[in-house]
Amino acid sequence: MEFKLEAHRIVSISLGKIYNSRVQRGGIKLHKNLLVSLVLRSARQVYLSDPCPGLYLAGPAGIPAPPPQQQPGEPAAGPPAGWGEPPPPAARASWPETEPQPERPSVSHAPRVGDEVPVTTVTGVGDVLQGGEADATEAAWSRVERPRQAAAREAEGPAGGWGVFPEGSLAARRPCFCPLGGEDPPGTPATTPRTACCCAPRPAEDEPPAPPAVCPRKRGAAGVGGGPAGCPAPGSTPLKKPRRNLEQPPSGGEDDDAEEMETGNVANLISIFGSSFSGLLRKSPGGGREEEEGEESGPEAAEPGQICCDKPVLRDMNPWSTAIVAF
Amino acid sequence: LKCTEKYIYYLSFQSKSDIISTVEFNHTGELLATGDKGGRVVIFQREQESKNQVHRRGEYNVYSTFQSHEPEFDYLKSLEIEEKINKIRWLPQQNAAYFLLSTNDKTVKLWKVSERDKRPEGYNLKDEEGRLRDPATITTLRVPVLRPMDLMVEATPRRVFANAHTYHINSISVNSDYETYMSADDLRINLWNFEITNQSFNIVDIKPANMEELTEVITAAEFHPHHCNTFVYSSSKGTIRLCDMRASALCDRHTKFFEEPEDPSNRSFFSEIISSISDVKFSHSGRYIMTRDYLTVKVWDLNMENRPIETYQVHDYLRSKLCSLYENDCIFDKFECVWNGSDSVIMTGSYNNFFRMFDRNTKRDVTLEASRENSKPRAILKPRKVCVGGKRRKDEISVDSLDFSKKILHTAWHPSENIIAVAATNNLYIFQDKVN
Repeated sequence: MEFKLEAHRIVSISLGKIYNSRVQRGGIKLHKNLLVSLVLRSARQVYLSDPCPGLYLAGPAGIPAPPPQQQPGEPAAGPPAGWGEPPPPAARASWPETEPQPERPSVSHAPRVGDEVPVTTVTGVGDVLQGGEADATEAAWSRVERPRQAAAREAEGPAGGWGVFPEGSLAARRPCFCPLGGEDPPGTPATTPRTACCCAPRPAEDEPPAPPAVCPRKRGAAGVGGGPAGCPAPGSTPLKKPRRNLEQPPSGGEDDDAEEMETGNVANLISIFGSSFSGLLRKSPGGGREEEEGEESGPEAAEPGQICCDKPVLRDMNPWSTAIVAF
Repeated sequence: LKCTEKYIYYLSFQSKSDIISTVEFNHTGELLATGDKGGRVVIFQREQESKNQVHRRGEYNVYSTFQSHEPEFDYLKSLEIEEKINKIRWLPQQNAAYFLLSTNDKTVKLWKVSERDKRPEGYNLKDEEGRLRDPATITTLRVPVLRPMDLMVEATPRRVFANAHTYHINSISVNSDYETYMSADDLRINLWNFEITNQSFNIVDIKPANMEELTEVITAAEFHPHHCNTFVYSSSKGTIRLCDMRASALCDRHTKFFEEPEDPSNRSFFSEIISSISDVKFSHSGRYIMTRDYLTVKVWDLNMENRPIETYQVHDYLRSKLCSLYENDCIFDKFECVWNGSDSVIMTGSYNNFFRMFDRNTKRDVTLEASRENSKPRAILKPRKVCVGGKRRKDEISVDSLDFSKKILHTAWHPSENIIAVAATNNLYIFQDKVN
């Protein structure tokens, strides 16, 4: 039991570190974040393997869970319960990478500027959609994947940033509730889980049913309905419905004890991640203020499905996957 | 030198603003270079010993200061590039000028540091202030002459090696051929020729085709001190690979692989982090390599790959505090390690401004502290001790009172004498051993 609590604490701390690394000066440090992800994985393993059924955060009920394709070197995930979906096979968002092909000439000239993005970094200002940042947020905002991909390809230039994830392969994705790109017209309640999406990358995460469809709007030309800057865009109203519907099955279908136990900590992280992401995705550096506001209304976020305004909408999105994916 | 030899607090320089991020003596020990977080390089030069003060060895004084790197912004990737100097490496001196390599996360620069103590005077077309003279007023010709002037030390960037690293550069190492050097980032190592800045050869690439399969990164790399075809690189998994560039153009397949089996009794959430190697250094002899991970320093014999020949505990009392150290990020601190000139003593830093020396022959070790309160000029440094439990003796420090914000990550040892440079945050301390 203590191990589980300890593991949980370590997971929280680790996610916080991953999140903070995004706003670090000098870009995300690959080494440090690799180490943090290893700790995350160990903690998750402990959490999953501890035979304490009441503490599992079960995955969303009714998800057709194809056996997770484990990465070589990934620990056995155990049951899909626990931290929700096991790490998806090809979660591009973990190590956002836009290198289209292995660059290994024996005489390598200086790589073209913009050829590769080691990891994305968000300094909290500016257009996070450029460069490799598109990787991370793109995974989360799968609703408008195809148009975004096109735009991202443009952004990446001839290097073809999405070489690793050609458009056609989007279908074979993790089981979660995120709608496929381009296939869900806004406003359609998505009651059945999608079989393909790119939420929930490698580290442990909670159930990932939240389609953060609001955010793509920020992408302007790329997004469906090209909304104004800022994630909780006013124009997102029609999207709230699908999200609400998707949120309900997970909250209803699982072990309420577990959820209650977890909620407190998760709620805080939700508010941090959710509101801060909205700050990040804004063009203005309003992230700090957002975070404060978010934390104050933490308790609101504890109720998934209670979407009463734009900010909690963000917060109610699966915090783990949102956070990790965005990283 | 016996490592229990007492050190005299010699001289310390306080850098006003910036945290020192690298310290390096040149090959003769005459110069000591420091790089800081603000992208500045400060070079100290040892005074010539004066005849009337035979017993007093030369002090180190500021010789040159220059801005090596500036912060940059990569607009395409929305990435800010820090100006912090990660490493400085000297080239061996081949003429009157000094050359060093300094690098930040992305760009390596070759700097020439030279003295000017003469100035030409008597130009025909310019007057003494440099203003052009009206040619019509020139009626005679003279040959300009060089006249002495106050010594000026100037640093000029001679080469800029840019755009070859996608990830953050952690190491540079000058080859013993003095014509090439390598730069290593998290996933790749590139080989450069000093004369060519628009091309580099990639000699190691551990980037997986699918980044999801990434399990380790390169943490440090160094050329063999004598064999220009051999180099080593360490990984975040605690392994060291020795590569021979004659074997193939791309040294992804190592010639030797050094790894110690993990002790299962020590397994914890943080086992992987603390086994990550933060520094690797060849001995001067070229026969051994020394590695530093979070809690230990290890010496490896190049001829034995399955375990180190020596392991020294730097601060094992931290083993029970790994979770807190993870929380406050200290567990990610990258400590360096150095050999003394004869490879008999090794030194590395710790917290609370402590640094440790281990005598490989006598197996004795000492903990010293670099702090102004405890050091006065010419005072002998007192060995320190950390109390791990039970009754704390006077002068001992308990683990819980250690100041983890005061860390000594960078140290350097004079190549032939017992002079050490210790960087404690933004202070540089230089100690030398007692002269009898």
